[in-house]
Amino acid sequence: MKKIGVVAILILIFLILYFFQANFFSFFTIAGIKPNLFIIFTLIIGLYAGRTLGMTLGIIFGLILDFVGSKYIGITSVMLGIAGFLGGYFDKTFSKDSRITVILMIVGSTILCESIYYFWNILKTQNEIEYLNFIKIVLIETIYNILLTIIIYPLIQKFGYRLEENFKEKKVLTKYF
Amino acid sequence: MILNMYKNSKTGMVGGIITLILLIILVIISNIQVDKMNSIENIFSAIINPIQNGITYLKNKIAGNDSFFTQVNELKAENEELLQKNSELEQSLRELEIIKAENATLKEYVDLKDKYQEYETVPAYVINKDIGNYTNTVIINAGKNDGIDVDMTVISEKGLVGQIVSVTDTTAKVQTLVDSGTAVSATIKTTGDNMLLRGTLNDNTTLIASYIPTSATLLAGDTIETSGLGGIYPKGILIGTIKEVVNTQNITDRYAKVETAVDFNKLNTVLVIKN
Repeated sequence: MKKIGVVAILILIFLILYFFQANFFSFFTIAGIKPNLFIIFTLIIGLYAGRTLGMTLGIIFGLILDFVGSKYIGITSVMLGIAGFLGGYFDKTFSKDSRITVILMIVGSTILCESIYYFWNILKTQNEIEYLNFIKIVLIETIYNILLTIIIYPLIQKFGYRLEENFKEKKVLTKYF
Repeated sequence: MILNMYKNSKTGMVGGIITLILLIILVIISNIQVDKMNSIENIFSAIINPIQNGITYLKNKIAGNDSFFTQVNELKAENEELLQKNSELEQSLRELEIIKAENATLKEYVDLKDKYQEYETVPAYVINKDIGNYTNTVIINAGKNDGIDVDMTVISEKGLVGQIVSVTDTTAKVQTLVDSGTAVSATIKTTGDNMLLRGTLNDNTTLIASYIPTSATLLAGDTIETSGLGGIYPKGILIGTIKEVVNTQNITDRYAKVETAVDFNKLNTVLVIKN
């Protein structure tokens, strides 16, 4: 029951983020480039609440975004699904208690997700690939995401531990007993 | 609560604030246009001139040695009266501003209708813009219920905007000209030479014109409009003007940069042409 409540809150946060991304960040840009709040958000869900929830919510959020704004259904969905999966994967491999590792996770997933998104789009539209412009956009977007992560890091930690309490069983390392 | 959270984490507060300031500076600097550099001049003059004003005032006072303290009461009363008047004027100014904005929107609608009288059109507002960096679509507040369908052409007062890619009952998604997935067949208004225009990722005011006939003479400033080929866009809708012609070694590879007539950053009202 409690879990359903938490998922409802996550969906509510997603909607708030959407309005931020669509209104505030459409003019608060670095050289015309917007950050991607959804990648950060889904990665954090995956990181603290586990791979399954991260991926599931990522795919649902992506589908909503696809239906609202993009020309092809499924691209954003796959992108955010991967972000959620990566969150779960990073949790098993790296420590999330250090600001640096969280930032590096954001860098990795932003670059990977954006590349997949862009090249899938290219395959669909059969456009010419604009390497330089694409690299410029990804670099600025990554920097923007890093800055945002640094600013909200304490918030991420607090929020993350709450999520973890609800979604992960206390790990008892039986082999040590 | 949030403040506490920041205090608890090591260097969280200071680091966060410094980064926030950095981000704001970065956003402001990166969005300054070269022709608007005089805003820096304004900032400096805003800092320096009030001080300069004060100093000059004092200098005059001392030099003139006039009755500075004598009329204080009189001046106070006058000041109050003026303040009152000022607030009244501000109020009416605000009302005027509202009327002005309303008038501008209505005028835009009327102008739009007049300009493209030969087409049957549906007016609409832009209600949402793209959230990503690679595509350039907008959502408008007219849909199936208003008779709008996929592939219809969307224009604005200034010129071509794009085409409808999907519709719901009350809204429609418009892929704009400057989306990197759009290609439009266009023609130079004066000479009639055909070419293909494509959007780029780089910015949302420029299109790249390619497949230019080798015999065509292009000049910066030439007007470009739709050619009607390809069957999506009707003929003769203004697209923009040539900004720069880029000549390559092989004349068949040359291309031109075309500045769109529509400013996609300020796009608010559009018309959908019902074919």
